[in-house]
Amino acid sequence: MQRLTLAIAAAMTVGTLAPAAAQDMFAGKTIEVVVPFGEGGATFVSAKFLEPYFEKHLPGNPEIDLVSRPGGGSILGANWFEQNAKSDGTTILFTTSSTANPFVLGQEGVEYRLADYRVAYSHPFSAVAYVSPDTGVTSAADIKGADTPLIYGGIAAAASDLPGLLSFEVLDLDVRSVLGFNGRGPVRLAFEQGELNLDYQFTPVYLTQVVPSVEEGRAVPLWTGGAMENGVLKARDPIAPELPSVYEVYEQMNGTAPSGIEWEAFQGVASVTYAYGLTGYMHPDTPQEVLDAFAAAVAAINADPEFQAESQKVTNGARLNAGPDTEAAIKAALSPSDEVKTYLRDLLSTKYGVNF
Amino acid sequence: MLENALTALDALFDPIRLAALFVGMIVGMVFGMLPGLGGVAAVSILLPFVFYLDDYSGLAMLLGAISVVYTSDTITSVLLGAPGSPASAPTAIEGHALAKKGEAARALGVGFLASMVGGLMGAAILFFAIPIAGPIVLMLSTPELFMFALVGLFFASSMVGKDLAKGLAAACLGVLLGVVGPAQAAADFRYTFGQVYLLDGFSLTIVALGLFGVAEAISMLAAGGGISHKPMTVSNWGAGFQDFWNAKWLVVRASVIGVFGGFVPAVGASASTWVAYGHAMRSTKDKSKFGKGEIRGIAASEGANNATVISDLVPTLLFSVPGGPAAAIFLGALFSFGYYPGPRMITQNPDLMFLIVWSVALTSIVGAALCFAVAPLLARLTSIPFAIIATPLILIMIVGAYQSTSTMGDIFMLFMLGTLGWLMKHGGWPRAPALVGFVLSGPMEQYFWLTNQIHGWSWLTRPGVLIIASFIVIPMVINLVKWVRDRKATTAVAERHHNDEEAISPVDEAGRGAALVLAGIALVMFLYATWEMFSFNPASRLMPALAIVPGLPLALWLVVRGIREYRNDFRQDIGELWILGVFIVYTIAVWAVGISIPTIILIAWMLLTRARMRWWTTLIYGAAVFATVRILFDLLRGDAPVGALLAFS
Repeated sequence: MQRLTLAIAAAMTVGTLAPAAAQDMFAGKTIEVVVPFGEGGATFVSAKFLEPYFEKHLPGNPEIDLVSRPGGGSILGANWFEQNAKSDGTTILFTTSSTANPFVLGQEGVEYRLADYRVAYSHPFSAVAYVSPDTGVTSAADIKGADTPLIYGGIAAAASDLPGLLSFEVLDLDVRSVLGFNGRGPVRLAFEQGELNLDYQFTPVYLTQVVPSVEEGRAVPLWTGGAMENGVLKARDPIAPELPSVYEVYEQMNGTAPSGIEWEAFQGVASVTYAYGLTGYMHPDTPQEVLDAFAAAVAAINADPEFQAESQKVTNGARLNAGPDTEAAIKAALSPSDEVKTYLRDLLSTKYGVNF
Repeated sequence: MLENALTALDALFDPIRLAALFVGMIVGMVFGMLPGLGGVAAVSILLPFVFYLDDYSGLAMLLGAISVVYTSDTITSVLLGAPGSPASAPTAIEGHALAKKGEAARALGVGFLASMVGGLMGAAILFFAIPIAGPIVLMLSTPELFMFALVGLFFASSMVGKDLAKGLAAACLGVLLGVVGPAQAAADFRYTFGQVYLLDGFSLTIVALGLFGVAEAISMLAAGGGISHKPMTVSNWGAGFQDFWNAKWLVVRASVIGVFGGFVPAVGASASTWVAYGHAMRSTKDKSKFGKGEIRGIAASEGANNATVISDLVPTLLFSVPGGPAAAIFLGALFSFGYYPGPRMITQNPDLMFLIVWSVALTSIVGAALCFAVAPLLARLTSIPFAIIATPLILIMIVGAYQSTSTMGDIFMLFMLGTLGWLMKHGGWPRAPALVGFVLSGPMEQYFWLTNQIHGWSWLTRPGVLIIASFIVIPMVINLVKWVRDRKATTAVAERHHNDEEAISPVDEAGRGAALVLAGIALVMFLYATWEMFSFNPASRLMPALAIVPGLPLALWLVVRGIREYRNDFRQDIGELWILGVFIVYTIAVWAVGISIPTIILIAWMLLTRARMRWWTTLIYGAAVFATVRILFDLLRGDAPVGALLAFS
């Protein structure tokens, strides 16, 4: 009953907000949202979570059709989008840094031109680093004084583990990285089993799975990737405001602000992984009105009390981003300087044996 | 706890929820029977509807589908010999052999009952073990998981069969197929030939369908329009009940194997089914019937795969780590309903936990009963010419394969592996070791690598590792003691030896030509694999080397042997070779002009020339088959393949 009243209240708010001209832009249309991962994965679940709000707030109340196209670590689905996307905003590629990193690194098999795509909306997907109390570490600042060697578990260096590994470079930590797990779930299991003692988990998982361990004293939270503030990834993440950002931790350790190639590489990769973790891309020729309509819908969704209540439960109240600033930030992160590219490729091939 | 259990039972007996459970069960049954389409397809088809229901009904619907798939797949495996799902490949081997002897009812009866017991064991484990399952899962760290993979390999070694060289070469070939794609240890993509399609490696569904299903469909088509086989009758269940009773402890042991298989995330039903099958083989004194219709093989594998699919839910619910692909979708549905499985789940939502247990238990019983009811009806279908059944069968396999990535590559792979499976069947290479090698190579490499990275070699002394190692060591010691004793009583030696040699091998008379061609292909594959292996990071070379070091000399030896024994006997298989050729042409045509035109021609060709139907029955039946296939493509939300030369689907 409460849900229903909230929904009605929300519908009324939106009715007054949406511009009348674009009222029927998507009337009777179906928007296909392509998720290049399996059904039941984190990206698919997030897309499913957002689906009703877009159906409700986009002009003309289109039907949203979620399609999962897994394969090739998301490359197959993104390549499909490159070949089949319509330019009227009815095909959306909803994906993560797993699609962005191979593009940035120029990996084999990438046909999609991600930096040319338009950005319809984006949802943060921040991550929290935490450590086992067996290391003797009690807060981010004394991570270097760990009693035992730090062991981090991950999937693959060139995919979603990249920002985590780069944060260790920025902070100049001596971490042994064990890559080759099946997913972040098994990594967390190995942490609980005591095989690993340093881990990163994305927010929804952190809130539901790791926080109980923190309360029982079996995990110590360290830092978050941070949030964007005037183009620098330095602010605290609103999702876990009690924790410092990587930027802050560096400042505490060294007394100066982070700089240099390691920081630039981290900031670029981390912003597409965390701050703009889940992004809906559109065909390069999509008209501006469509993007404006999405920006308006995003504003309405963020103001929708039902969305606010639900997202409070899942992501501690994260909000969607859209509009020119978001698009500019994502495009900048997708087209790093040649120095950063060279640094990344060198690091990955010498330290992690990635072949290009 | 009991109170929660009763509340949950009461909640489930709401008419809408029961209806949802049974709808899910029916969908699961149908998809279990369609080869290549299993729990994942059933659950993804139901997923959009689930969100129209309340949380309990929606979840009950998915559970109904998940828990019945490995019961109903027995029907296809036994009657047609094409595995209904990858995890019932052993049932296809043993059950179909029995069915050919006219003992389909026996095979089905044991299969259903073992499935039911496996499912109930899984449910009981969920019920009683929820408080203790958490610590058990936490005890299974990477070294223990690696040891489990080794135990699997040890059990599977009994499948190699009579012709040692061919059996081992097949296993090596399977391991080699398993290492295609991303290496676990370092950032290498192995044997991908620059194809994005291969970046994830081969899909288990396509490998199982290719090796077993395509070859069966070809021989059905080759059988032509006449009834060249005895129609299968399923009437007398008595013998099956008796067999089941005799094998009851085997079923229980197999279920325990299956339960542990489910505890291990991402190992899945296929691996534990083969392990249980291997266990059945080791624990059966007279091994001569394996591969030719051994009822104990069915009892073990059906008990195990049902137990696994349910205990898969344990890591899913306790740690949010899905045990298999169907469990992953179930987890997604839980998230969407606002449940976040994890350590708190048991205390926060005890009713939901018990609802899951009851749904699974109820489906296991009702599903098995329903299978008993429909199996005789379906068996009557076998009295119509097999070529008529094979036509939709092959197209459904294509739809099933196409679920992996929804690209043309799926169809290419199906028929490429189908060709390999056909050659293996006709060249006398056992296919079971190949599939086992494929299934186990991934977890073995991954856990070995992780274990050594994390623990060095100190893991060898962990208590869990030692306990699991005893599963290998104790049978070996017992066998050794027996062997020594037998040597003393010299009289029995010859007899025993003979029996051991006799182990399984589904070989009839191997085609000499096919054997030589296959040995040649295997040799080329191993040679190429060796060459490319040197470009990998050292850590990524271990597993390919494990396949190549024995595989290359074996393939070489088989080529030499093949040349020596060569006889131009392709003529005996000429009919089947033609059909294989047609399938390959069909694949190329689908690539060129999209799915519709080649499929219509293929259906017409199969029905008119193979099944020798009249033109007007062909028209009606063919149109129905084509419509079904198109609807399946749409339902499963994979756009049908569009032609590269002619943009038409």
